[in-house]
Amino acid sequence: MTRPLCSQPMRKGVRGRPLYGEATSGEGVEVEREGGVLEASEGVGSTVPVLGTQPVRAAAMLKCGMSGSQVKVFGKAIQALSRVSDELWLDPSEKGLALRSVNSCRSAYGCVLFSPVFFQHYHWSTSVEVNGTKSNLNCKLGMKSILPIFRCLNSLERNVEMCKIFTRSDKSKVVIQLFCRHGIKKTHNVCFQESQPLQVLFEKNTCSNILMIQPRVLAEAIVLFTSSQEEVTLAVTPLEVCIKSSTEESMDLNSSVYSEMFVGPHEFEFFQIGVDTEITFCCKELKGMLIFSEATHAPITMHFDFPGKPLALSIDHMLLEANFILATLADEPSRASSPQSLCLSQKRKRSDLAVSNSKVGKKDNKAMESISRKVAPRNLYADEILSNISTLENSGSPIMKRVNSDTEEEPGSSSLRKVKEKH
Amino acid sequence: MKFRAKIADAACLNHFTRVSCMVAKLARTCTLRIRPHTLNFILADSAAGGGVSMWCELPQENFFSEFQMEGVSEENNEIYVELTAENLSRALKTAQNARALKVKLTNKHFPCLTVSIELVSVSSSSRMVTHDIPVKVIPRKLWKNLQEPAVPDSDVSIYMPVLKTMKSVVEKMKNISNQLIIEANLNGDLNLKIESELVSVTTHFKDLGNPPSASENESEDRSPEQMAEVQVDIRKFLQFLAGQQVNPTRGICNVVSHKMVHFDLLHEDVSLQYFIPAMS
Repeated sequence: MTRPLCSQPMRKGVRGRPLYGEATSGEGVEVEREGGVLEASEGVGSTVPVLGTQPVRAAAMLKCGMSGSQVKVFGKAIQALSRVSDELWLDPSEKGLALRSVNSCRSAYGCVLFSPVFFQHYHWSTSVEVNGTKSNLNCKLGMKSILPIFRCLNSLERNVEMCKIFTRSDKSKVVIQLFCRHGIKKTHNVCFQESQPLQVLFEKNTCSNILMIQPRVLAEAIVLFTSSQEEVTLAVTPLEVCIKSSTEESMDLNSSVYSEMFVGPHEFEFFQIGVDTEITFCCKELKGMLIFSEATHAPITMHFDFPGKPLALSIDHMLLEANFILATLADEPSRASSPQSLCLSQKRKRSDLAVSNSKVGKKDNKAMESISRKVAPRNLYADEILSNISTLENSGSPIMKRVNSDTEEEPGSSSLRKVKEKH
Repeated sequence: MKFRAKIADAACLNHFTRVSCMVAKLARTCTLRIRPHTLNFILADSAAGGGVSMWCELPQENFFSEFQMEGVSEENNEIYVELTAENLSRALKTAQNARALKVKLTNKHFPCLTVSIELVSVSSSSRMVTHDIPVKVIPRKLWKNLQEPAVPDSDVSIYMPVLKTMKSVVEKMKNISNQLIIEANLNGDLNLKIESELVSVTTHFKDLGNPPSASENESEDRSPEQMAEVQVDIRKFLQFLAGQQVNPTRGICNVVSHKMVHFDLLHEDVSLQYFIPAMS
């Protein structure tokens, strides 16, 4: 059951509205509150003690507009992120609008940040509470709701003259309007859940190996691998790069085809190999990234190190920045042979961490103070964080952080998970 | 046992890829037989396959610029391996812009057919791609089941209409019933019939022409109008039609009344024979 913060009776949120968007399924809804302790409760329309929540002076807001060709890129970003997970966060800030997605086993994270100049117009604000604290728009959408709106991107590009997106944290819907030719206006109201976005801390620039390549080359390599092969291994030396099917110790007669492709250093726009290494990761999210990169015509940069440390795929464009962070298989004696078992080991380790969560939380507080920028996944690994969550790192998962929280809820999801498990 | 071969010509490579794709559509697992002058893709009839069998033969000289093989022994200079047909077709499909393609039998952890492709990239530099396709070597004692089937004594032999037309007709018929009757006569008429309780649908193909019959007796005994018919599972017939991407150079349908239907196709230099037994 949920742990109430104090003994006040349950009441609805401010201004008589339920604190959550209408949950479309019976799944648990999360709320991040002051004090940073997560609680979850199940069921549609159930309420949670909103203790400590003051009346809000102004609601968080997002309002932006784009033209037909911009909608195509925006839609491609959503399609790419749909390969990562079924849920999407809309996270506006002064840097622009970030679309974030994390898969359920936390082995892949995607973020596409559209700078304000990408849009025809872009306005956002945080919510301000009476006591002065600010919080962002915490908006999580289901992919099933939003993906159909951005289907058939080629026809959207031709027909849509303007697309406007508007939402406020005190409304429970995101309104997406497509102003099309011939005076047709399509309005979509998509319910959202209030949920703080997860974000990954990963210092790309300290990776020893950095490769920049045109997406077409990667796409040609990926085509070699059948959909039945989930994982792909990237093996690099200063002389050559090899992309191959990931093999297990004992391949038997019924195994699938083993394929490999060698790419010479001259095919890369930037080639830096500091450490000879072989990393194995899931193909699916890479494919998602490739879809998006074809739309932006920008090269993909890969940052990686040794097995176990995440791989970052990024696109840096004038108007947008995309980052997909994928967990890689760690080189352990009890080596997991599939991302699935990788996740289980993460879970075990997380629950271990959750037990000592209170202690960890305090240390992480201090660590968070030393981190200056909050949004971009380029935040530095503070040493304290590294030591506390080194077990997590070994299992290859990217480190997750709640955006804009006062306390660092490192394996924040884990305390959530524990609570859910109890139900 | 040794086998290594090379394809250096783009047209040959495309043709070989098309053949391999066709085989993949007709059989999930099949046998590849390698002989000094021919390659065969064989699907032997089996209960699991519903009695359907396939025999595909290609003259190796028309495809490979280099070809070396050493069979199991001197008297038995052949190699029989079993593989998943789709693995080969997928591997070949990645060789779209290949400068050269090499195929050889290897034994890494277990026997493989290794396909090595030298791709030409836009920057005109080469990229090496390798696929190791797992295969199973078939022991000599099982070879007798994999020999070329005898052409049956058919009651009627007739040239086939355009396969695409047949396929679109049969696809719609599939929704009505599973049992398709194929009937043909020596007057160049071929009918495809399907029946259900409520409806019966027949498609008539006329003036198709009949190949000259092998035996004189057959044509004497039989009146030209008389139909020879066989009832087959429509899904097997559709699977056969789905495998044909292009219309063959020559296509003959042989009907053995109430026993089976035999399709004999020639795609340029590749011959394909497909047998569908009658439904019991």
